[in-house]
This record gives sequence, structure tokens and C-alpha cells, in this order.
Amino acid sequence: MRAPNEIDFWRGFALLTIFINHVPGIVFERFTSRNFMLGDSAEMFVFLAGFSLRFVVGSSEKRAPLRNVAHRLLGRALEIYSAQILITMLALAILAGASLYLSQPALLDWHNASPVFHEPVETHIGLVLLTHQLGYFNILPLYVVLMTAAPLFAVLDRVSPWLLLAVSFAVWMGALVTGYNLPTWPIDGTWFFNPLGWQFIFVCGFLLARRDGPGGFARRHLKWIRILAIPFVLLGIVSAWHGYSPSPGHVPAPKLVFLFNKTFDSPARVLQFLCVAAVVHGLWARLPRWFAPVSEYFSRLGRNSLEVFCVCSVLSLCGQIAAYVYGGGIAKDTLVLSIGIIVMGLSAWLTEWRANARASSLRV
Amino acid sequence: MARKCARLLLASLSIAASLGFDARAQDAAAPKSDEPPPLSAQCQAPASDIAAPEPLPNFAAVLAAKKKARILAIGSSSTFGVGATSRSRNYPSQLREILAKALKGVDVEIINRGISGEVAATTADRLRTEVALNRPDLVLWQLGTNDALSRVPPEQFEATVRSTIAWLKADKIDVVLVGLQYTPKLARDKNYEEIRDTLFKISAQEGVLYIRRYDAMRFISQARAAPVLAQDDFHLNDLGYRCMAEHVAQAVIANLFVRRFRPTSSGLLP
Repeated sequence: MRAPNEIDFWRGFALLTIFINHVPGIVFERFTSRNFMLGDSAEMFVFLAGFSLRFVVGSSEKRAPLRNVAHRLLGRALEIYSAQILITMLALAILAGASLYLSQPALLDWHNASPVFHEPVETHIGLVLLTHQLGYFNILPLYVVLMTAAPLFAVLDRVSPWLLLAVSFAVWMGALVTGYNLPTWPIDGTWFFNPLGWQFIFVCGFLLARRDGPGGFARRHLKWIRILAIPFVLLGIVSAWHGYSPSPGHVPAPKLVFLFNKTFDSPARVLQFLCVAAVVHGLWARLPRWFAPVSEYFSRLGRNSLEVFCVCSVLSLCGQIAAYVYGGGIAKDTLVLSIGIIVMGLSAWLTEWRANARASSLRV
Repeated sequence: MARKCARLLLASLSIAASLGFDARAQDAAAPKSDEPPPLSAQCQAPASDIAAPEPLPNFAAVLAAKKKARILAIGSSSTFGVGATSRSRNYPSQLREILAKALKGVDVEIINRGISGEVAATTADRLRTEVALNRPDLVLWQLGTNDALSRVPPEQFEATVRSTIAWLKADKIDVVLVGLQYTPKLARDKNYEEIRDTLFKISAQEGVLYIRRYDAMRFISQARAAPVLAQDDFHLNDLGYRCMAEHVAQAVIANLFVRRFRPTSSGLLP
């Protein structure tokens, strides 16, 4: 397994934050990044996924053959799709089981689950087509779309990274201006994470991981970018701390461009995230020695992000049910968080242990 | 005392409206319409159990200015319509029929954005997107049940609701809060009661129309022979959604004619 690194560390950090944010009402919610940023851990997670894409696609000097790249990325999309179906079915069974055990029909409603139980014919088709997503179980469908589109990003990147940036920006702006989003079915509505909006921050991660093009530009001017970024970081902190978010009636058209919208990943969220990323970049390498076990823990989560994310999603649902049964409060919330930390860590360890065992049996 | 008098006056106005008196004389700016539709026999409940009067000035102005009303019904399973035999029997669909009849000549459009099991904080986020994309003239926000069940602290729930009401007011969009589901099972649940009290407090302090669904449905459940709950004893059935739609329709229409009363030096004047 690779040694702890900055990307895995932050990805692990984002995973733990996602776990906390997915247990509504938990005390620790008020300490997560969304209290200090216009965006939240989703931006970090998607940006880092884009950053990691660079390792598959390769740099300008060391290009992986395009056919291999497409094969790997589409394989990854299928893997993520399978994970989405698996955790959705687990979540439905957990809700159904809890509802039966606790004699509480209301639990069948949680997270947009009720259409599965009340309109099963249409909704099962929707689950498979990803047009019906459970609440909090809606980020993997975005990844499926991004990974399916990733070979196209790789091709554009080879032509010119600046071309990829321009195309991605145009698609993002097109979504923001027209308000277009993928529809949901059988329930009228749209995707919680609009892939046309979120692809931009993914592509940003992909391009900034490159040592030339936009990535090279950012590296060369990091000092100045940081100086310019600090006011935006502070503004975002103040704004998030005071819960400020402009209302639709107080911004000019096209409104989504000026709102702090999560579904479309509005520019304010993206810009402030990129500023925070510029400022904290390099911090990981300077962490004190006593912090190493924590760093190791987060990196391990990050190295196995898909597996840990699946466990994290299911675990947060169990945390919500526990909150329903036993109520909230600092002691119970601490217990929920501790179980989350331990189980997520164990699942990452187990994934690596299995991978190591498989590798050594192959060697034999 | 003055506030109490104003409330009494408002309550009697609302009752007059619900009894079928033509209340148009109260507000010249209000659209020409029939009186609030009478409640059907199975849905009768005391006016005080349905809603305390609060004006809907922005919605009234929109109706006076144009013959089109776009209403956004947002919330969770009761908006989506779990328990109804079909989605055409959920409360927003039935409400559209009632309002189209009651507000003659007004083209009523209702956008249903109910996602079952959602807590208020998530709905509040979606509300911003929906308002930006659809620019509704009135928002019907059904909330509270899932926050109570998810054990969201009442003060956190309150902060979410208040901040949302604040920006909707600033954007000149009236909002109607549609309260918690009634179910005998949760009648003694402490969180459930706290969230209900919180909603009541917010609506009174913010001057926002609040449909006391829990109280109205409890009254009907206990007083009538016809069941309003679905087989699961939690969601409403078709009749329950009919009553919910009638209560919302009546409160909305009655309150189109109510103007904000403010104590002045010469007494209570509209």
C-alpha cells in the first residue's frame, strides 16, 4: 500500500466529515467544514477524485495508452455503479427492518425511500437507472457519470488542457444559466448533485494535478494565488459562520451563478473551495510528528475511499436510526461518532488486508 | 392586550370568511373570487384547530395583478402523497382542484416537490434552488415530522425555519407552514411535541400562516367515523389528503382577505 500522502489524507478527512454531516442533529455537525466554508466536504471529495484521475490518465510526459485508460475508467464507473446499487439495497433493508422491528412506518419514508415500498414497479426501474436516488445516497450516481465521461476528459486533456478547461467551464456555465439538470423518475424532480455542474470542480482537480497547463500555472504562481486567496477564504468563513447565503430575489439573473447553490455547485462555492485548497496545500507535509497516527488513519480511509464511503453511508443511516430510538445528546453522539471512527478505520484496514492477502497468494 | 384584541378580531374575520360571508369588502386589492370553499362534512374541524389568521399580502397582490398563480408545494411524504391511492389524490393535486374552482378565472399551477423522509434543513436547501428556478408566488412548506423523528434539536430546527422565512419574506414570497402529521403512536413523543410547539411559536412570532395539521387531523380522527389514516396508521389516506387540501385551501383563501393589523395611537386600525 502506498505511504500516507496529502490527497489520501484529505480524502479520508472528507469521508469522516460526510459521516458526521449525514447524521442530522449530531452535536459534532457544527464543527465540520461546512460551518467554515461556503461549500462542504462534497467539493473536497469530488475535487480529489478529479486529482486522482490524473494518476490513471498520466501526465503529458508519461501518457498511458488511451485504450487502457478508457478500459480502467469505465471499469471503475461500473464498480461505483455496483457499489451504489449495493448500498441502496442495504439502506432499504435497514429502513424496512427498523420499521418492522420498531413498528414505526415513518422509517419507510426516510431519504426518499417510500416510493420503493409504495410504487415498487416504477421505482425499481428508477433505482437501476439511477433516476431514483435515496437522500444522502446520491453522490455515487454523480461519480458514475463523471467516470463514464472521464475518457472524454482524458482525450480533451491530451489535445490541450486549456481546451478541457474551456469546455468544462462552458458546460458548467450552460447548466447554471439554463438551470438544466438531469431529471429524476418516477418522482418528478432533478438530481441532487447535477453532474453538469459538478463536473467543473472534478475537472479542476484533474487539471491542477498536471504539472503543465493550468496546473503548471497554479504551481508557478502559488505564492500570489495564496495571497489573493486569503481574503476569499476569510470572507467564506465569515459568511458561513453567520449563515449568510444570498436569496434568489436579491441576485441578478442568471440566479444560479450568484447563489451558493449546492445542486449546481455555484461559482462562489467552487471559488472559495479552490482558495481554501490553495491555502492549505502543503500543510499536510508540515504536520507535527505526534499527529502521524491521525494522518495515517485518514490516509488509510482515503486510500480505500469507495469501500469506506459505502460503510460510512450505511453506518450514518444506522446512526440516524439510533438517534430516533435513543435520542441525541453529547454522550450518545460521542458514542455514535466513536463507532463511526472505529468501523470506518476497520473497514479500510480490512480492505487493505484482503488486497495484501490476495497479492501474496498470487505471488505464491 | 392590543395584540390579543387584534387576534380576536382576526379570528372572528376568519370564522366569518369560513362561514361563507363575502369578505371581499375587507380588502379592495384582493382578487375577485368566491368565498372560501366550505369544508366537506368529513373534514369539519374547529377554525382554531386549522389555522390562526395571518395575512398573505404578496400572494394577494399577485392574484390581483395577474390571473395566474404558481404555488410551490415542498416538503416530505405528506406532500409527495404516501398513502394516497394515486398521486392525483395527494394534497397538492386536490388543492389545485379546490383552488381552481374557488379562485375563478385564475390559472392555478402547483409544483409538487415533496421528497419523503426529508428533514427541514435539506428541504430548505432545495427551496432556494426551486425558488430560483421556478419563482413561485406562494410556498407551501410541509415540515416537522421527520425532524422530530430524526431527533433534530428543536433549536436547530427553529434556526433553519426562521432563516428560511426571513429570506422568503425579503424576496416577497408568502409562505404557509403546514404542520406535523397526526398519528396516535406519536401523541406522547416528547420530540414530536417540542417540534410542534416550536412551529407554533415561530409562526406566531413571524406572522406566518401555519396550518395546524396535527390538531385538525386529531380532531377529525377522534370525532368522525370515517378513517383519515392509511392502513399503516401513519400516513393519510385519500380522504385524509382531501381534508388536508381543504384545510390549506380554506386558510389560504380566507387569509387573502386579511390585512395586517397594527396597533396605532388611535386604536386598532387595518
